[in-house]
Amino acid sequence: MGLVDITLNIRRYDPDNDRTWWQEYAVTVGEIMRFVDVLRTINTELDSSLAWNSSCEHGQCGTCSVLVNKSPVLGCELLVQRAIERFETTHFHVEPLSIAPVIRDLVIDIEQAYSRVHEAKPYLIKPAPLREDESYSTLFPRSQEAFFDATRCINCFCCAQACLSSHHSFIGPNGSMASVVRLMDPRETARDERLKLLYSDRGLYRCHTSRACSHVCPKEIDVAHFLALGKQGRFDQDKNSKKG
Amino acid sequence: MPRKFAFQDRISCDVLVAGAGGAGLRCVAEILEHKPETNILVVTKVSHPQKSHTGTAQGGLAAVDPNDPVDSPLYHMFDTWKGSDCTADQNVVKQIVASAWDEILWLERRGMFYTRNEEGKLAKRTFGGHTIRFGESSAFRAVFESDRTGKGILDTMWGEAVKQGVKFYNQHLLAELVFDKGICTGAVLFNQKEGRFLYVGAKATVLSTGGSGQVFRVTTNCRHNTGDGLGVVLQHGLPVMDPEAVQFHPTGIVGPGILASEALRGEGGILRNKDLEPYMERYAPKMKDLAPRDVVSRANEIEIREGRGILNPDHNIEHVWIDLRHLSDYVHDVKLREISTFFKKFVNIDPKTQLAPVRPSNHYHMGGIPTTLHGEVQDWALNTIPGLYAIGECACASFHGFNRLATNSILELITMGRIVGNKVLENLKEATRASEPSAEAGEHTFTKFSSYLSAKGSHNVDKLKSDMRNIMSDKVGVFRNEKDLSSALDTLQELQEAARTIHMECTSLIYNQELVQRWELDNLLSVSLVITKSALERRESRGAHTREDYPERDDAFNYHTLARISAPGAVELSKRSINMDIYESGGEYAEKFGFIARKY
Repeated sequence: MGLVDITLNIRRYDPDNDRTWWQEYAVTVGEIMRFVDVLRTINTELDSSLAWNSSCEHGQCGTCSVLVNKSPVLGCELLVQRAIERFETTHFHVEPLSIAPVIRDLVIDIEQAYSRVHEAKPYLIKPAPLREDESYSTLFPRSQEAFFDATRCINCFCCAQACLSSHHSFIGPNGSMASVVRLMDPRETARDERLKLLYSDRGLYRCHTSRACSHVCPKEIDVAHFLALGKQGRFDQDKNSKKG
Repeated sequence: MPRKFAFQDRISCDVLVAGAGGAGLRCVAEILEHKPETNILVVTKVSHPQKSHTGTAQGGLAAVDPNDPVDSPLYHMFDTWKGSDCTADQNVVKQIVASAWDEILWLERRGMFYTRNEEGKLAKRTFGGHTIRFGESSAFRAVFESDRTGKGILDTMWGEAVKQGVKFYNQHLLAELVFDKGICTGAVLFNQKEGRFLYVGAKATVLSTGGSGQVFRVTTNCRHNTGDGLGVVLQHGLPVMDPEAVQFHPTGIVGPGILASEALRGEGGILRNKDLEPYMERYAPKMKDLAPRDVVSRANEIEIREGRGILNPDHNIEHVWIDLRHLSDYVHDVKLREISTFFKKFVNIDPKTQLAPVRPSNHYHMGGIPTTLHGEVQDWALNTIPGLYAIGECACASFHGFNRLATNSILELITMGRIVGNKVLENLKEATRASEPSAEAGEHTFTKFSSYLSAKGSHNVDKLKSDMRNIMSDKVGVFRNEKDLSSALDTLQELQEAARTIHMECTSLIYNQELVQRWELDNLLSVSLVITKSALERRESRGAHTREDYPERDDAFNYHTLARISAPGAVELSKRSINMDIYESGGEYAEKFGFIARKY
């Protein structure tokens, strides 16, 4: 097992005294350890007070997003070895995302960020009625394929972090995509309600098409593609539902 | 200035749901669809319901399609009974299997993106232990959403909750239940984010707090699955049923233990040892790689023990291979997309061209809080406790007995969620709640939390937790024996002592991760204790509970274990009988539901 010496310079915040500072931790870790394992090592060996968040720890829940050398990443997916290759250093700056207020150290108030996703109504507002001979909607794989990738979003907010627009005025790339998915879903009938938000001043026109969202997405979803479809109004719903 | 260790808030609601995964949210949806004005409060330890562990379930959701020409609910019931090693409760099995398909449709109508076949209908795949005609051949019984079925369910469920305007209290712990003359009238919560204690008066309290996988070192479970619901009921002297029934998934990815679903084998993946022999043919001649989990886990463990494993140099862990190289690009890129990328991300292997390293990893707790058919929590004497319910992995009705079949867990979550939702509604009319806490309410929690912060000593919470997990994996894992279990019990008691002298670096109440982990450690240690003691006293092998010193199932143990903590560190055991309704009905094929031999 290859061991390596690395240094993490972590931005800390103490809510009791409203104090922010940088703290350096030098650790020896296995090369194929993930950043969440490194943070755990710091808790066990150096400083049990350092707060950070995670849940599934295999890229399926989007809880452990942090900035490593200014790039938004999932802490559970970044192997030490790959971080060294990618950033060409063994010295890393780790910070909380800036899309919501910090609660303590690397933990942000993700609820506030989620309120923008909730605004986009991440559900079927009004499902189309079924035909008499159906107990569920018939959907063809080729119509689902057009938007299936977008349904893989885990709301880790890496895209929102990388986005050039302000999270104060824009529902964000992930929020927008959540609504585009349902516009592409042949079962959704509440199209006008969705378009109203998407084309409002908190909607898609806030997007500057930098494609940073697609570039940083840990799930490798081409977020910008779905935003572009939204801008063009190309949801192709009629075509999809008539196919097959 | 208010005292730190006192109630800063007092709230009243109709229904308090602790845990916002599939089971809790399905229960909430059911209640609100029937009675939208119900005042429900949903509490979760994670930062948002979407971060719940349900979202990591991969393979599928078992349900017999009424239009299927060859499958039948009776076959599904039989497979579940046989899979449980004849320890599931047959009334529960019947109830869940019979309404399974309705749940599939319920989710579809609310927007779940099931994978479809070319005709636009729900696609189905086969999983270990699911058969037609009582074991004759594999059943195509599981609907799925690619290899992220749990995420599909969870996204649909929290979406529905947002649609219905449900109030969530995220990052809150349920630390204590409040009782009044044997009735559960509310709970004590701790708001992690603000460091405040809350009293909630509720007519019904539903525990859907999830699993306890963090008890073990190598686990597929998330960081938050620390058996909190079990810890809380044990703290009140209430029992846990079948705690020794712990499932080890045969194919955890070497290293972190991440789940690599049965879907790999369902789609044609083959397990091989260092000589590349497809060894499952030796262990289960008929079902081979699709035998149930306990059978495959033991086979993998035996191959490794007998020197036919492979040593991974990075993790210094022995493993076997799963061979996926012969599967088509379509299977890799579409049907198994997430899992394929796990191998690339976490072990740097391309499963299209390379063998992938896997080994058994703790996965699921069949045992849990004992409940009736309708999720009502039972006490030591098996009387139901008015106002208290449990569903999901933290509960045990028992649908899975001593071994759970693949794709049966998320089926149980949503089906029992609905059933309990209805039971809560039915009982709500006559239910009472205490809008003001009793004098004792919270005292236990305040004492506990203040002692955590003021404890003197040199122990580190992460270090003790890791010691406990090592012991549990080494001595209470896939294979168990008298000597290891006894020694594990001693060590656990020592660790409980040591935990009293854990030093807290951070003594604030506001988002103090160390404090929460300290509380979780108490829960984990309680759960470990009842698992180990129950495993020690069950001197037979049954389902996932394998005793090297007692390798056969023994009819003398045809019962569920009840375990409670009677004094600090002391575990007391009792029994609950296994429901045999289908067998006793004497109907067609009833004989298949006796204590049958379990061969695959």
